Amino acid sequence: MLPHPSHTVSDLPPEAASTTGNTSCEGLSGRIEQIARTRLGSLASTIDQDGYYPLDVLEELAQAGLFSPLANRDAPDLVQAMRGVAAVSRWCGSTGFLVWCHMACALYLAAAPDASLNTDLLVQHLKGARFGGTALSNPIKAQAGIEKMALNATRVSGGYLVDGTLPWVSHIAPGQYCGAVASLGDARTEQVLFLLRLDRPELLFKCPHFSGMEGTSTWGIRLQAHFVPEQDVIAAPAAPLLQKIKAPFLLLQCGMAAGIIQGAIDSMHEVEGVLGHVNQYLHDRPDTLAAELKTLEERVILLARSPAPQERDYLLDLLDIRAHGAELALRATQSALLHQGARGYLSSAAPQRRVHEAQFVAIVTPAIKHLRYEMARLAQEEVPV
Amino acid sequence: MNASAPDTSVTLYICKVCGWIYDESKGDPDSGLPPGTRFEDIPDDWYCPLCGVGKADFEPLPSPTSTVIPPGQTLWPASRNHTGVARSGIVIVGGGTAGWSVARRLRALDPQVPITLVAACTADVYAKPELSLALSRGLEATDLQQESGQDAAQRLHIRLMPQTVAVGIDPQAQRLRTTRGTLPYDALILAQGARPVELPAFPASLVWRINTLAAWAALRTRIGQDTRRIILVGAGLVGCELAEDAARAGHHVTLVHQGPYPLGSVLPAQAGARLQQQLRSCGVTLLPNATVSAVTRAKQGVAVQLDAGQTLSADCVIAAIGLQTDLRLAHMAGLRTDCGITVDQHTLQTSNPAIYALGDCISLNVQPCRYIGPIAAQADAIAHAVLGLPHGGYQHSPPAIRLKNRSLPLELRGQPDPAAIWHTVHNTPERLVMQQRRGATVTATLEV
Repeated sequence: MLPHPSHTVSDLPPEAASTTGNTSCEGLSGRIEQIARTRLGSLASTIDQDGYYPLDVLEELAQAGLFSPLANRDAPDLVQAMRGVAAVSRWCGSTGFLVWCHMACALYLAAAPDASLNTDLLVQHLKGARFGGTALSNPIKAQAGIEKMALNATRVSGGYLVDGTLPWVSHIAPGQYCGAVASLGDARTEQVLFLLRLDRPELLFKCPHFSGMEGTSTWGIRLQAHFVPEQDVIAAPAAPLLQKIKAPFLLLQCGMAAGIIQGAIDSMHEVEGVLGHVNQYLHDRPDTLAAELKTLEERVILLARSPAPQERDYLLDLLDIRAHGAELALRATQSALLHQGARGYLSSAAPQRRVHEAQFVAIVTPAIKHLRYEMARLAQEEVPV
Repeated sequence: MNASAPDTSVTLYICKVCGWIYDESKGDPDSGLPPGTRFEDIPDDWYCPLCGVGKADFEPLPSPTSTVIPPGQTLWPASRNHTGVARSGIVIVGGGTAGWSVARRLRALDPQVPITLVAACTADVYAKPELSLALSRGLEATDLQQESGQDAAQRLHIRLMPQTVAVGIDPQAQRLRTTRGTLPYDALILAQGARPVELPAFPASLVWRINTLAAWAALRTRIGQDTRRIILVGAGLVGCELAEDAARAGHHVTLVHQGPYPLGSVLPAQAGARLQQQLRSCGVTLLPNATVSAVTRAKQGVAVQLDAGQTLSADCVIAAIGLQTDLRLAHMAGLRTDCGITVDQHTLQTSNPAIYALGDCISLNVQPCRYIGPIAAQADAIAHAVLGLPHGGYQHSPPAIRLKNRSLPLELRGQPDPAAIWHTVHNTPERLVMQQRRGATVTATLEV
């Protein structure tokens, strides 16, 4: 797993900083891993298939300090945050994804100019008293030229009126919130990033049944002349912030991949004693995957510690590591299922669940195909028009 | 096809040094060889029109259709090594001269080994030195393309992944990640070339850089049929050649360069002055001792601002200010690098035993060697090493530097030292010969 870095000092008020009740990194990590193992180890199938939305577990994890690496608004500890995402994803990919959504939303709140967001709500958010996710799949794809912006905002007195529909957004529910982006005006060249408060149930509509990850509380959002007050605006124009959060956004997703891969390796080791004599004929054995996971983790840490989001090479590294994580998760989970055989194919078994968790990592924005599209675009030789 | 029987179907011969192809059906009219001249009938004093080497440096290039795989035949036999583990094969990164050279040598030595060539471009085969001669010859991009990448791949029985960018290497797992999937490899050969130096003063949206056929083709389209005002920045080999080529094609060319004379970094003033005079006589306006501070969009075309305050306007600005190796992949793989990828002088192996490199991306003795000449020998050494075949090793010697300007053909041999004194050996209006010496040994010779 990811090595233990030194912990950052919170710049939030004492109330938020003390939500963990523990400033020792080793202690934090141990408690998070313990909660993930004991609570999620037994709940994972219920979350994945029956749609149990594990807010109680998230609150417990928050109390154990899962989100405190993001308490330093200007310098979040991404390595420690990723370790948290990985520790949870190792036991339950759905909850790992919820942790990622919650962390992404925390990054938006931290960047908001208004103290009601960047301090009051952020404090509640980090300690798991309030919950919210991110609706940035569409704008991120729009920024890469893959699809058009789904939300459009019009400037009005005291804020914006927003129209449009987003098909599926996770870690939201009536009374929760998410970060969202709308294009502005007729030209739609500028964008505004804002906190969308889902305070009216009619803003949400139900999604179809998915093959897994059902407990991620995923809804459609329909906005019709929805008023967003000025104090909920996080960034206008949004582009600089979108660029700034790209690295944490992708690197934290690598934590999901790392956790799922580790879980798959765990499942292989579980059966090595009894099935090793036949499993030796499989490729992608646990030692091979563990070595590749180590390489992946080392690169993630390196990128998290030396952010240079303006540089082409850094962006390529970032997109590549995210794709690498998704590809390795696909291989590892497939191999874990082959290693476990029929016992891994039971509907309650972790290996079969992890196969679609890895597929989710490979298709959630930015999907492998989006990452490759963007890398190809970045690497293209530019010639004068 | 019986390999030992003389092959009468061969009508193409490739220059092993520069990659220029002699096509018997086209001949070489510029050198007095009419279309239809058989290669064996070419007189012995004929030279490659591109790099100047003789007939002996050409080898037959089987025609694309002569070795097409029969329908139904598997492209790759299930190659297996002694441990029974399926072989991943050889992966080459780069679809330029270096990449194709090593693919050709590998296939010539082993008809079965799986080879995959990953190219960010279409991997069409062309002779890069021709790019700086093509405007004045009235050529189009299709004339420069000797063979499509797909045809070359089919002829050599290799898997080509065109328009595919190599984005990551896991050296322990021996896997190359690309924008079209991840490839395991037994041996990886980096032939990725070098890319133009990027400086803030020369935004890519306004300034042309002619380092690929695709870039040249785009420039050719931009120029169209009109007479254009073209500013060349940088008077190295490529800058001088492009300037003369554009001027001969009828364009108004200004060559902006640092230092008093073109090619000032390698030529003594006496030779530089001759070159300057010849370029002027071709119609090139030279602006010596000038540095460009900014290129901006203007109402018509672009504006080039010089450090001294002067502003020039042009339809096209071409920067020929040098190349650099993209070391991102090498660094990710943990390879030793300096100004390029550091390789063993004889085997071209990098600091990772499964990875080799050749061409513009490598450094030898902490020096890049971005000439086409040594590539064939490098490819031969790598192909032998990768296939485990005996080979005497690559012997590097600095290639002769030839300026292909028609007004003043210039050749520089040996190891010129910018700090050493040049001695004049012969000096007439028609010919200048100079030498650098260490004791009694001639270390460099210049002929103009």
